[in-house]
Amino acid sequence: MANFEGVDVPTVARWQSYDCKYGNSMMINFGVREVANSRATAAPGWAYVPDTGANASVTALQPSSRTRVRNQPTASLHETTAKQEAKILRELAALDRENHRDVSIPVPIRHKDSAGRVSHGKSTPAVRKILQSQKTFANHLSDFEALSTLPATSQPVVSTPATPAVRASPNTVVPATAAAPNVTSKGTRSHRKKDQGAVSTPTPLRKVSTASQSSTPLPIKSEPGQDIPMPDAPLLSQGNSTIPAPHPGDKDPLLVSRIPVMPSQEEIEKLMAAPPMTYNEARGPWVYEDRMKPIRQFCEVCGYWGRVKCKGCGGRVCALECLQVHQEECFTRYGA
Amino acid sequence: MAPPRRTKSSGPPPPANTLVLDNGAYSIKAGIVTPDVETPAPEIIPNCIARDRDKKTYIGSQLSSCKDFSEIAFRRPVEKGYLVNWEAEKEIWEHEFFDSKVKRHCDPPETGLVLTEAPNALPALQTNCDQVVFEEFGFARYLRIAAPTLNAYTDIQSIFKAPARDTASIATLPAEIFMLIDSGYSHTTITPLLLGRPIQSAIRRLDVGGKLLTNYLTRLLSLRQYDMRNDTYLVNEIKEATCYVSKDFKADLERTWKGPKGDRRAVFETADGIAKDYVLPDYHGRTKGYMRDHDPNAATKLKEMVKGKALGASEDVLTLRNERFTVPELLFNPTDIGLRQSGIAQQVMDSLSSLPMGLWPGFLANIVVVGGNSNIEGFVFRLQMEIRSLAPAECIVRVARPADPIVSTWQGGANLVKDEEAFSKLSVTKQEYEEHGAAWVARRFGGR
Repeated sequence: MANFEGVDVPTVARWQSYDCKYGNSMMINFGVREVANSRATAAPGWAYVPDTGANASVTALQPSSRTRVRNQPTASLHETTAKQEAKILRELAALDRENHRDVSIPVPIRHKDSAGRVSHGKSTPAVRKILQSQKTFANHLSDFEALSTLPATSQPVVSTPATPAVRASPNTVVPATAAAPNVTSKGTRSHRKKDQGAVSTPTPLRKVSTASQSSTPLPIKSEPGQDIPMPDAPLLSQGNSTIPAPHPGDKDPLLVSRIPVMPSQEEIEKLMAAPPMTYNEARGPWVYEDRMKPIRQFCEVCGYWGRVKCKGCGGRVCALECLQVHQEECFTRYGA
Repeated sequence: MAPPRRTKSSGPPPPANTLVLDNGAYSIKAGIVTPDVETPAPEIIPNCIARDRDKKTYIGSQLSSCKDFSEIAFRRPVEKGYLVNWEAEKEIWEHEFFDSKVKRHCDPPETGLVLTEAPNALPALQTNCDQVVFEEFGFARYLRIAAPTLNAYTDIQSIFKAPARDTASIATLPAEIFMLIDSGYSHTTITPLLLGRPIQSAIRRLDVGGKLLTNYLTRLLSLRQYDMRNDTYLVNEIKEATCYVSKDFKADLERTWKGPKGDRRAVFETADGIAKDYVLPDYHGRTKGYMRDHDPNAATKLKEMVKGKALGASEDVLTLRNERFTVPELLFNPTDIGLRQSGIAQQVMDSLSSLPMGLWPGFLANIVVVGGNSNIEGFVFRLQMEIRSLAPAECIVRVARPADPIVSTWQGGANLVKDEEAFSKLSVTKQEYEEHGAAWVARRFGGR
């Protein structure tokens, strides 16, 4: 067992939860950590990933309340039918496009004039792969999501032990108990305590890792203060405005002003040391107050308030005149 | 005349020049910064490869030589704010900076690089970026930094009007505490910054940006007037010229309504000055459109077409009414198009709700908006109004916009580079990259 002393403690603690088969292999292999699990085969360029059902690139655009843990399901104020949902999704996808038509614009081939071009030497295979990659952002995002839903054992990088998991990931497969309680149900005003978040320590989804970081098999120890040290006196200055002259009414309990206490140095440091959130976690929420408001409906023809509903398709129009315009198209569109 | 020889010492001196690149999805803000030399204003280069209808291809700044923007199509290497397609980006960078003929030429092995990225980037994309910068271009020194952070190195207090400051406090960079709202082409991000570093757990992103607004305006115009779906460039110009953020949405919408059939509203025709005409370019005599007050009696092509007359009018005019303010309204009410997110003001409050209460006054009193969308008329006013109504009554709410919100981030980068001590603490040299590897660099930039 002396061999284990070189291994850092949190890693060992993780391994203990797996069955003794792994424990044995650890003993035989000494410091070498076996990361492949029984189900997935790692191969360059592709991997089997668990299919969690929903299409990630679509749900990222418009996560419904069910996939997002932080957004508690509310009253059926904004319940939409599947048809309406599909329509909204389609329209949002159209609004997200770069060009109306599908175009592919190739990079122009340049004449290799030795005078005009700066050569950067030979590119390495890795760089050539990056340059030739035609992946879109949606591809990269679903790659990332697939990686983070993989079971924790298949990932070589160990997350920081004391990570404050402030927000929950939308595609969590882990039970939501770790993340849900510290989310305020009321959304905005209430002050969320940092310490609460720090309790839920080893969420496997917190780790920010990629397959391409495989050049460093060693676990990354997170020491936030090491790389970029905090300034020596980071407590905020108290401003430079002049203090107003004392007034006899200052002591009046009705006039006394309460200022919230500044967070301590420790608290601030903990706040700053939090690792970046993932792309999906950083997506701004639909807060409770806004969910309670009815969604504004607009006339599809002229843009005024949509006060009348078309019987055929449920689209909104403002008045009879616009309804007539709408129906000319509505009937042809739906063949009704 | 012997050529200057490079001395080979153990630690090469830091490169004299640094290329500061604010690599936005729509435009690159770029300039070469040298300490002790006054910095020129940055160039704003379209970050795209474009192709017009004659199949002619334009790279980056070549776009300004384009005469006919109808049906022009774009390929952008930056998607959703993140640098995704390196093939296209390399082409643009080489065309703009590394070609020996180009006027802002620089040689990567003798230059440093400051490159911005949007917050919450995917680690895979960050690794790609580091690799290309060092292994393909071979920059001598490199800093990849979230764009909001660079704004901490601008003098943000000078943006706010009151109260007057004493001169001693001016020089302290980075800024102590402020909240940055960056509303760009791909999205709007809200980043609270403390002592020049972002508070990662409080960053929020609203998926409404300039592109979505332009596409929405395109849809409205195509439904109501001309089919503009292939003229996004033109619609973007219309948007920039005519759109404004309404101070009173309901009243403005009321003013622009034509009224029911038998009861036409008199106010509709000019809508109290809201109705504007945009004269479209024809790309022969007129290459740029312009806005003017709506004239109900002017003869336009659309009118004559509707009435079936022979085309005699010389001008093609779009009349904009509620399109002018319903489009930027999406920044404040994304649910208007069914997007399940709260508006900017609520996102600011949500971001604050994850921070200790003691920091709220500091952030609320120092809100800075940058990015192209903040140029929309009335944006700052409306934002301040909405945050004011949501924030605790005791807090002062100040929202301000720098003189040029598009280059503000770049300016911060330039200021950072001039401060050699701070810059060298953050940046990574090529030697260090080769010594410690990509993962070390990623960790260092991540502040982890």
